[in-house]
Amino acid sequence: MRVASELRFRWMKDVALPVLLKARERRPRERPRGESPLGPPLESTRSLKRLMTRHYALARYAEGARPVAWVTSGAPVELLRAFGCYTVYPENHAALCGARRMGPEICAHAEEAGFSRDLCSYARVDLGHALSGLTPVGRLPRPDVLFCTNNICQTILYWFKELSHGEGIPLVMLDTPFIASGEGTPEVFDYVAGQIKDAVPALERITGREFREDRFHDVLRSSIRASALWGDVLATMRHRPAPMTVFDAFVHLAPVVSLRGLPSCERYYEGLLAELQERVSRDVAAVPGERHRLMWDNIAIWFALAPLSRLFAEHGWAGVAGTYPNAWAETTHYLDLADPFGSLAKTYTLIFLNRGLDYRLGLMEAMGRDYQADGLVLHSARSCKPYSVGQYDLRQALAQRLGIKSVVLEGDMTDFRTWSEEQAKTRLTAFFESLDG
Amino acid sequence: MGRTTYLQGQKAAGRKVAAVWPARYPAELLWAHGVCPAEVWDPPAGQALAGAHLQSYVCGVVRQGLEFLLSGGLAVADFLLFPHTCDSIQNLGSLVRDLVHEPKPCLFFYPPRSGGSERAAVYLEAQLRTLSADLTRIAGPLRDGALEGALALGRGRTAAVSELYALRARGGLNASNAEFYGAVRACEYLWPEDAVLHLKAFTKTHAGRQRRGVPLVLSGVLPAPSDLAQRLDGLGVAVVEDDLLVCGRRFARAPLPEPGDPWKAVAARLLALPPCCTTGDGVEDRAAFLAEQVERSGARGVVFLALKFCEPELFQIPSLSGAMRARGIPVLIVETELGTTTPAGMMTRVEAFLESLP
Ligand code: SF4
Ligand code: SF4
Repeated sequence: MRVASELRFRWMKDVALPVLLKARERRPRERPRGESPLGPPLESTRSLKRLMTRHYALARYAEGARPVAWVTSGAPVELLRAFGCYTVYPENHAALCGARRMGPEICAHAEEAGFSRDLCSYARVDLGHALSGLTPVGRLPRPDVLFCTNNICQTILYWFKELSHGEGIPLVMLDTPFIASGEGTPEVFDYVAGQIKDAVPALERITGREFREDRFHDVLRSSIRASALWGDVLATMRHRPAPMTVFDAFVHLAPVVSLRGLPSCERYYEGLLAELQERVSRDVAAVPGERHRLMWDNIAIWFALAPLSRLFAEHGWAGVAGTYPNAWAETTHYLDLADPFGSLAKTYTLIFLNRGLDYRLGLMEAMGRDYQADGLVLHSARSCKPYSVGQYDLRQALAQRLGIKSVVLEGDMTDFRTWSEEQAKTRLTAFFESLDG
Repeated sequence: MGRTTYLQGQKAAGRKVAAVWPARYPAELLWAHGVCPAEVWDPPAGQALAGAHLQSYVCGVVRQGLEFLLSGGLAVADFLLFPHTCDSIQNLGSLVRDLVHEPKPCLFFYPPRSGGSERAAVYLEAQLRTLSADLTRIAGPLRDGALEGALALGRGRTAAVSELYALRARGGLNASNAEFYGAVRACEYLWPEDAVLHLKAFTKTHAGRQRRGVPLVLSGVLPAPSDLAQRLDGLGVAVVEDDLLVCGRRFARAPLPEPGDPWKAVAARLLALPPCCTTGDGVEDRAAFLAEQVERSGARGVVFLALKFCEPELFQIPSLSGAMRARGIPVLIVETELGTTTPAGMMTRVEAFLESLP
């Protein structure tokens, strides 16, 4: 059985999928690009589509051929890669469902099963998918293991526990204590590193594979490089005019979230960075006539990404920085091959969502200065408490420190039932006018 | 005597007062440092001030706690303690300290989520020592034997609460729901010796045959709105056990073996509390605990109080209620919020549930 699955996986990976993807690309674009206030689209977007389509398409064939792991966005995936796991990120999948405007439809299945509409909509999409099978990617493989870290929120813990309970799938959980102030203590890092070490025998048992240190080191090296490249990609937006926008960053962060530690991820960002550097050298603007530069706080409003991107550009606004895309470039510098477990503990414990708001304020202030932002948009994501609670005061503090104006958009990542496009438009237009006036 | 007057009395007696947010924290350590914890669950507060800091989708416990703080309700406290219970309290603590710039010291405490593992115990012990160092700065150092003494006080208080719960579960307590929760929830601010005296006096006065009523178990964060217990009395419900985060989920039903080392003993007590979503316990453990409470009390059903915007609770209610149904235990899930008046619709649903019970 395993041999047949393995052969099928390899055949799809090496033969069928490359052919299918090429054929797909040869098809004419369905929608010709009409009048747009945006600059020329990034060429790399095609490679991105190919990469992510391949990832989700191949995922269907991974079952039986590779140990399949469902992972949270803030988990040390490097460990799983050392076991050759095929990884699926429910958060990334939920974002995709959001972008395809399938959020409410899928959430409804979770809500029918009793999950409150007030819960994180990423979780509701995922639970709704587990109950209904609904997805824009055909099918997700059933996981052999769930791998979860509560550094982004506690919600993830309840959500993955629920998946584990409902589907009878083993859960490996790493507890990363909240760092209310300071840089963390040896006790915290020992605690987290110890849990990562404990996860090794647990994963050996679950995957039936041996932990290979050489492979682990290769993965860590690759992960460090991919995150550094991603950081360089984001840093190109410091240039005036910015060669891409934060809305592009939301789209192009998928590989560093989902494929970190794989060579394909590094290759992808090498290409994207080269394209952006070339744009910088020629002053190609993502928003022609860029007049203002803004910073975005919180996760994207996936279902409204394109209209918002257009609206900003129409007013000469380039989104040039975002706390969310920055998260995947923020702490990888702690990774150290000489101390893989200890440094993984630091890398994943010290992410900004796991730290006090004073840290976040400092980070946003520095980003605002580095990227020369003169405006701030705070997406108050109704179903994401850890990211959103505190934003009103962050806004005030940043106005004082940076002297920038800001606007709060009440929205959600995927669930557009509480979103009014018209209201958002009115609010943003008034905001833009206040800056111009 | 009102809560604030009592706490002022504590200060006059030389103790410090800590305003402590939900839910699990090492009370013994605070007592050992001469600190009287006053918990902030559902203080009487409006909505006027907190709205400038919090979105409308934040739970009432966080909103009302902040409102109470901002309106001066916690003036008596010398410092604030935020146990890391959920994402909302995590951000509230940080918000109060870093952005609202509360002048009183704000302390944090993180209950580990990795179950009863040895690593969790070691980490917890390290944290207790860090917290003790913070408390030393505020309230002075630990005296010799103070932690052992505080552990003894804790054992006494747990024994008194347990006795009261056991009596109620056996049908030997002649107290209304409102009287019962009024008595037990006084432990949220009473010094442990006073709490024991208060509970014992209550037990003595109310020992006797239970009033008639439909025996039910309550699960949720707390009895909310504040008139709920009374309204349940009015409907003829006799709450005989509970899995409420504020009450029944915060004391072990049976005495625990205690390690000789007092630090380890405080950690062990925290790790041995009944299973809870806020500390990452799974549905299986919670279902087993809840079923045990139903069995020991002879309850005819479980009412889940689904507190609006409370993620930890709301995530587990579907599976937990499903597990109860699978055991043949009737359940009712009602959405609830803090406030003073139970909506008529909620009472109608409870009534219908009572009528449907076999
Ligand atoms: S609560 Fe927020 S951080 Fe947590 S999974 Fe949901 S969207 Fe992500
Ligand atoms: S979300 Fe729930 S656990 Fe957290 S403070 Fe609110 S009521 Fe308590």
